[in-house]
Amino acid sequence: MAPIIRIENLTKKFGNFVAVDHLNLGIEEGEILGLLGPNGAGKTTAILMLATVIRPTEGTAAVGDYDIRKNPEKVRELLGIVFQEPKMLWVSTTWDIVNWHAKVCGLSKEERKRRVKEVLEALDMWEHRRKNVHALSGGMRKRAELAKVLVQRPKIAIVDEPTSQIDVVGKHRIWNMLRELRDEGSTIILATNELYEADVLSDRVAIMHRGKLIVCDTPKTLKDSIVGGDIVEIQLEKEASSRVVEKLKSFKEVVNVLQVKPSNLRLQLNNVEEVVPKIMNMLVNEKVPITTIHMSEPSLDDVFAHYTGLTIEEAQKTGV
Amino acid sequence: MSQIALFGIIASRMINVEGIDYFRYYVSGLSIMTLYSAAIFIGFDIYEEADHGVFEYLLSLPVSRRQLVLGRSIGGGLRSFIYVGPLIAVSLYVIGSINPLNFLVALFALFLFSFGVSGMSITIAVMIKSSDRFDIFMGVLDALIVRLSTAMYPLAIVQSANPLYGGVASFNPITFAADLFRWGTGLETIITLDNPLIPLLGVIAFFAVFTFVGVIIYERRIEGGGWQ
Repeated sequence: MAPIIRIENLTKKFGNFVAVDHLNLGIEEGEILGLLGPNGAGKTTAILMLATVIRPTEGTAAVGDYDIRKNPEKVRELLGIVFQEPKMLWVSTTWDIVNWHAKVCGLSKEERKRRVKEVLEALDMWEHRRKNVHALSGGMRKRAELAKVLVQRPKIAIVDEPTSQIDVVGKHRIWNMLRELRDEGSTIILATNELYEADVLSDRVAIMHRGKLIVCDTPKTLKDSIVGGDIVEIQLEKEASSRVVEKLKSFKEVVNVLQVKPSNLRLQLNNVEEVVPKIMNMLVNEKVPITTIHMSEPSLDDVFAHYTGLTIEEAQKTGV
Repeated sequence: MSQIALFGIIASRMINVEGIDYFRYYVSGLSIMTLYSAAIFIGFDIYEEADHGVFEYLLSLPVSRRQLVLGRSIGGGLRSFIYVGPLIAVSLYVIGSINPLNFLVALFALFLFSFGVSGMSITIAVMIKSSDRFDIFMGVLDALIVRLSTAMYPLAIVQSANPLYGGVASFNPITFAADLFRWGTGLETIITLDNPLIPLLGVIAFFAVFTFVGVIIYERRIEGGGWQ
């Protein structure tokens, strides 16, 4: 099936600064695509181009059957955006803002009334519906911003850092609501610099850095792409013999074996979930009892560092 | 209101021109000047919306740029009308006369005038792209367009003062609106308006230019992030 969004050489320059640099990407219908990168990576600019809010300097994208340059109005009919900073109209209550958005998006009066109530209740905003949004906390304003798209249920939802300023319980609730939106048929582009959010929510993750797309795949494939990225620490009851160490090295998934202490081994390997049972069987057969075993797989931060040479935090700090 | 109660009364005692009740003349002109100033405000809203990112939100909505700018022009015009409504009511009370049919035509023209001023303000705002420069420009424009109109003094007096002033005032939308308002309230004897069709056509042309040309400029300037 053809991707619902096809981005081809999409580029945006502001003077000499290249905010998005020849971005090529296909987004499948019904997936959550995590657009991951530090601040200034070009995520928001790419999103604003897709939404036809800003015009590309070069390249284009097809959203559904429509080109963003040739049919911007048709493109906007398919989209709904949750902005990074809540965009609120003047002197309005939460209800007014969400209801007005739904009205502009063509929902009937009855449907609006029902959906706005449902979404505001689900987001714990119902009691605040008559409050002026400017009197709400940052987290509550962000929820009101998110409510617009949840009420709209667009074909393609673009959510830019949807859970920033929101507490942990709220984050999980919003993630579930985004999953439900995906399950109801929406395609979701999730721009975020939160690694965990991208990891748990995305079907695929596209990593952007300095305006360029570095890599795009499922979180698992990205993590597995780091050779020796999985770490297994094994504490044995007795000293590990050289024979045991050699046998460990003989597994094709094992990249390196470090004997930290005579009875303490640190293994760098790939596909940890597949190879650990084999290692344990081998140790049992060799009659080497295990005291503890600790496994860790690489995070998306490791993936980012693997491809860019910087952790996402370092990239954020240096602004590169 | 203080302009009417203080300046209007005091100034009308200083000015004594045969056949002209300057107080009534001034009150009607003040309504149009205030309508103009109120309709200009929409331009400042554009900057605030850009500063607060509301612009990006509006541009992402499934509506055409044309609908967006027409909505803003009409919204700005209606808002200014609501704002100036009480002043117009007081003016009518002070003037004390009304020609119902003429007044309806004048009211329609004033609606178009306020939409046109809003459209002009939006057009200039998106062209200038700096709220400070817009503020200065509109101040200068206000000083010229209001003073070189018949809002405060009849065209014959302006023309006798300087033919150039008179020429500018003859093609000024504020002149058209002020003259039509006076015509609608029965003050046409003061302004000797020979043919109300001319200012009416002037207001329609002003509205058409700054609404429809404004839409094109708005589209070109705004589309693709041109406001940034």
